[in-house]
Amino acid sequence: MKKILLVEDEKMLSLLYEEELTKEGYEVAVVHDADSAMEKVKSEKFDLIITDIRMPGKDGIELIASIMGMRKDIPIIINTAYQSYKDDFMTWAADAYITKSSSLNELKETIKELLKEK
Amino acid sequence: MPELRKDIVTGRWVIISTERSKRPDDFRAPEFAEIKKESLTFCPFCPGNESKTPPEVFSVREKHSAPDQPGWKIRVVPNKFPALQPGPPPPKKLKGVYQWMEGVGVHEVIIETPDHHQEMSDLTTKHLAKIIRVFRLRTIHIEEQFHHKYVQIFKNKGKEAGASLSHPHSQIIATPIVPKRIKEEIYGAERLFRNHFRECAFCRMLKEELGSSERLIYQNARFAVLAPFASRFPFEMAIFPLEHSAFFRKITDEDCTDLAEALKQALARLKLQLSNPAFNLVFHQAPNPQVSDKAWPGIDSYYHWHIELMPILTKVAGFELGTGFYINPVPPEVAAEFLRKELPVKS
Repeated sequence: MKKILLVEDEKMLSLLYEEELTKEGYEVAVVHDADSAMEKVKSEKFDLIITDIRMPGKDGIELIASIMGMRKDIPIIINTAYQSYKDDFMTWAADAYITKSSSLNELKETIKELLKEK
Repeated sequence: MPELRKDIVTGRWVIISTERSKRPDDFRAPEFAEIKKESLTFCPFCPGNESKTPPEVFSVREKHSAPDQPGWKIRVVPNKFPALQPGPPPPKKLKGVYQWMEGVGVHEVIIETPDHHQEMSDLTTKHLAKIIRVFRLRTIHIEEQFHHKYVQIFKNKGKEAGASLSHPHSQIIATPIVPKRIKEEIYGAERLFRNHFRECAFCRMLKEELGSSERLIYQNARFAVLAPFASRFPFEMAIFPLEHSAFFRKITDEDCTDLAEALKQALARLKLQLSNPAFNLVFHQAPNPQVSDKAWPGIDSYYHWHIELMPILTKVAGFELGTGFYINPVPPEVAAEFLRKELPVKS
């Protein structure tokens, strides 16, 4: 079973994602901030990471930079409500940039594609 | 007494506010203000991280080195998450009284050097000339392959100028429409050509500027760096080819070398005299010749490509946004005198 780390500060939203992705057959670990995400990445092996950008404390872009400093082989999806971060070239460290919407189809398709490439 | 000055080509007015003027030294940016926090961990533009960018569309690289691998000197890649989707120009559509079109264009990033910590002003003239040749090549390629109407070459340096990474890079965005600011320049230049000068207004202006030298900062055989008469921003500079040409794409390899020297001189002066402020650098050139010839017959006679270099030392606020008037607290003559000083610039 493929293991996904979900970094999302909105607790209700993370519950929804967790439920939907579990239904898709993934094992999902959920954290709500970048520091906890780093702890998880250090101690466990993940096949893919999904991260929000705007979060209390370190933001998602800082988190991605820290992960890249450690290992570059985990596919990362940025999942944010904001298009504007596309201007930030640090987002290129991620493999995909998705703007949050009520449908999770794009997210699910992107996960499938990235895990297929692995 | 403050002065109101008019940019004769665009018709834009500027308030040169000498009474509020500080000394040029007062505009120095706080030293090392830019914290390169991202460079401490990861940079998608650095060698070794080529897999994090889309496949390169062009590169200057060491012999026998493979594409999308280290060994490059200059690398051009499409934007990974572009504002405009790649493709040919879409048709204009109507929605009631409104016009719209699909957001299609070309967005490329030119990674200027493999060295994260160098700045454009630190590069050798030879390397800068290669970057300029890449700009020319990409302009021609995009115009001929994608047929977009306008190719904008620009560089944002520093956070205040909109840059998100300090690794030296420039960008090219080609749009299916000619931007308003370029149209203003074209119409203004055409009007002055037809009604007043019977020659290119930029050429006429250059003659006056080179004659008086009051606002001249640097000159070589083919290019001049000036503080424009109606500068919008403190220490604003413009780089003009001395030989008349509307199309940047027509520059020769010799031109590239002299332009590289002029650009290096301008950037080095900003860095050394004003403690390395953030800046925006933009090329203004005639639209794609396939479009220009139809929409603006004779544009080759009256338009003159150039580069605008705008250090970010003040903030644009309500008055500027509301009126289109800019207030510049440093008269361009004072800026030119300050920037003209001899500098130990290595080529």
